[in-house]
Amino acid sequence: MFIIREALIGLYRNGIMTLIAISIMFFSLFLFGLFLVGTFNLFGIIKVAREKVEINAFLREALQDGARDELIRKIETMVGVKSVEYVSKEQALEEFKREIPNATSLIEALKTNPLPPSFKIKLKDAFTSPDKVEEVASKLNIFSEIETVEYGETWIERLDQVVRVLFVFDVLLGIVISFASVFVVSNTIRLTVLARRQTIEVMKLVGATERTVQAPFILAGMIEGGIAGAISAGLLYLIYRLITIFFVKYYFPTIPIFIGMFVFGLILGFIGSKASVKSTSMEVSFATSYI
Amino acid sequence: MIEIRNVSKSLKKGWYALRDIDISINKGEFVFLTGPTGSGKSTLLRLIYMDIFPDKGEVAVVGFLSSTIKKHEIPFLRRRIGIIFQDFKLLQDKTVYENVAFALEVTGGSGRKMREKVMKALTLVGISHKRNEFPYRISGGEQQKAAIARALVREPFILLADEPTGNIDTEASMDIIKILQEINTSGTAVLMATHDVYLARKMGGRVIRLDEGRMVEW
Ligand SMILES: Nc1ncnc2c1ncn2[C@@H]1O[C@H](COP(=O)(O)OP(=O)(O)O)[C@@H](O)[C@H]1O
Ligand SMILES: [Mg+2]
Repeated sequence: MFIIREALIGLYRNGIMTLIAISIMFFSLFLFGLFLVGTFNLFGIIKVAREKVEINAFLREALQDGARDELIRKIETMVGVKSVEYVSKEQALEEFKREIPNATSLIEALKTNPLPPSFKIKLKDAFTSPDKVEEVASKLNIFSEIETVEYGETWIERLDQVVRVLFVFDVLLGIVISFASVFVVSNTIRLTVLARRQTIEVMKLVGATERTVQAPFILAGMIEGGIAGAISAGLLYLIYRLITIFFVKYYFPTIPIFIGMFVFGLILGFIGSKASVKSTSMEVSFATSYI
Repeated sequence: MIEIRNVSKSLKKGWYALRDIDISINKGEFVFLTGPTGSGKSTLLRLIYMDIFPDKGEVAVVGFLSSTIKKHEIPFLRRRIGIIFQDFKLLQDKTVYENVAFALEVTGGSGRKMREKVMKALTLVGISHKRNEFPYRISGGEQQKAAIARALVREPFILLADEPTGNIDTEASMDIIKILQEINTSGTAVLMATHDVYLARKMGGRVIRLDEGRMVEW
C-alpha cells in the first residue's frame, strides 16, 4: 500500500525530527504512566487498610454463650457494622503470644490469664473515617457488658486525602502531556508535510482526494505515537519487574497498561497529525511553483 | 467539452490577469494558446483544471461547473484531465515507471491492470526502455515524455500542456510536439500553451492568442 510506504518514507526522511517527537512523547507518556501506576497502588493500599479498620470492645467478664450471642446480634444490627467476631480469653492470649513472642515467659510467670475477652468489630467501608469510627465506638459504650472500646488507624483518612490530591494531579498531568504530545506531533508532521510538498503537489495534480493526500501523514503521526506509547509501556514493565525482584511486589496491570499506553499514543498521534496536515496540505498548491 | 464563458480573473487587487475570455474547445481538438510571457496563458489553464476560479463568468469542463463544483469533486475533475508543465514535476526519488504508476496508485489503482496501463503509456511516448531510470539520470526531453505518460495513464479526454517545450532544446521540442500530435490523432484533445507564436503558426491548426489578458485571436 502506497499510504504505508509514503508514511514510512516521510518518517525516515525527517529522521531526526521523528526521533525527537517519539522521545518527547515517550517521556511524557512514561511520566504519566508512572504516576498512574503509583496512584493505583496507593488506592490498593487504602482498600486493604480500610478492611483492617476495626474496633476492639473489651468485655468486663466472660459471658455465657446465650448472653454473648445476643450481644453479638445487637451489635451486628448497629449502623456501619460489617461483622462481629468473639475473641475469648484463651484466643486473646494466643494472639498476644504470637505478636510479642518475647513476652511469653512473662505471661507464663503470671499463671492466670490477665487478658479480657473481646469483640473484634469490622466496619463497612463507608464507616472507616475517624469521626464515623468514633461514632460507632461511643454507641458501643452504652452496653454495660463492655468495659472499654479501642480503635486506631486514623492515618487512612490522611492517606485517602493524599490519593485524592494525587488523582487530581494525574488528571492534570494527563491533560498537560496530551497537549505536549499533540504539539510535538503536529510540528513534526508539519515539517514532514512541507518536506513532501512536491509529492503532495503531484498527488493533487493527478486527482488524489484530500483524504488520500492526508492519509500517509496521519498514519505517520500515529506511528510516532504508537511507538512512543509502546516504549513507555515497555519501560514501565521493566521497572515493575526490577522493583518486584529487588524490593516489593506492587500492583501492575500489564496488559491494560500496554494496550492503554499504545492506544493513548495512537490517539495523540492521530490528533496531532490531523491538526497540522489539514492546514499545511492546504498551503501546498502546485500553482505557486511556476510562472 | 470545455466552455469558457465571459471569464475575467483578477490575481492582484484592481488588476485583471484575464478579461472577457470566451473559448470553446471541442472533443479531439488541437489548440495552441499563445501570447507573450505574462499574457495570462497559465492563468487560463489553472481556471480549466480549477486550481483557481473566475471572478466573472463561468468555466465548464465535462459537466463540472466552476460556479457549482464542490471542493471534494475537484480531484474527480483532475482525473479526467492530463496536465504537463515546463518543469515536468516528476518525483526525483521515484523511477520513471514509479512516477507514472504513482498517478494510478493515489487514485486507487493496483495490481496487474495497473502495470499494463503504465507500460502502455510508457510505450506510447516511446520511453519504456528508460522505465527504471531516475528522472535526474535522463534528458529533459525524456523527462517530459515521462510526464506525458503520467498525464495519459488515466486516459484523459484532454491534455493541458503549459509550455511543455520551455525547458528542452529545439530538437527534443519537435519530438514532444510530434508526440502531442499523435496523442491528438488517437482522439485526445490537446491544449498547448506556448509563448512561441512562431512555433504555433508553423504547426498549423487553431491558434488562440492572448495579449495582456485579452483574446486578440481565436
Ligand atoms: N499568483 C499570482 N499573484 C499575482 N499575480 C500573478 C499570479 N500569477 C500570475 N500573476 C500575474 O498574472 C499575469 C499572467 O500570468 P500567467 O498566466 O502566468 O502568464 P503566462 O503564463 O502567459 O506567462 C502575469 O502578469 C503574472 O505576473
Ligand atoms: Mg505561463
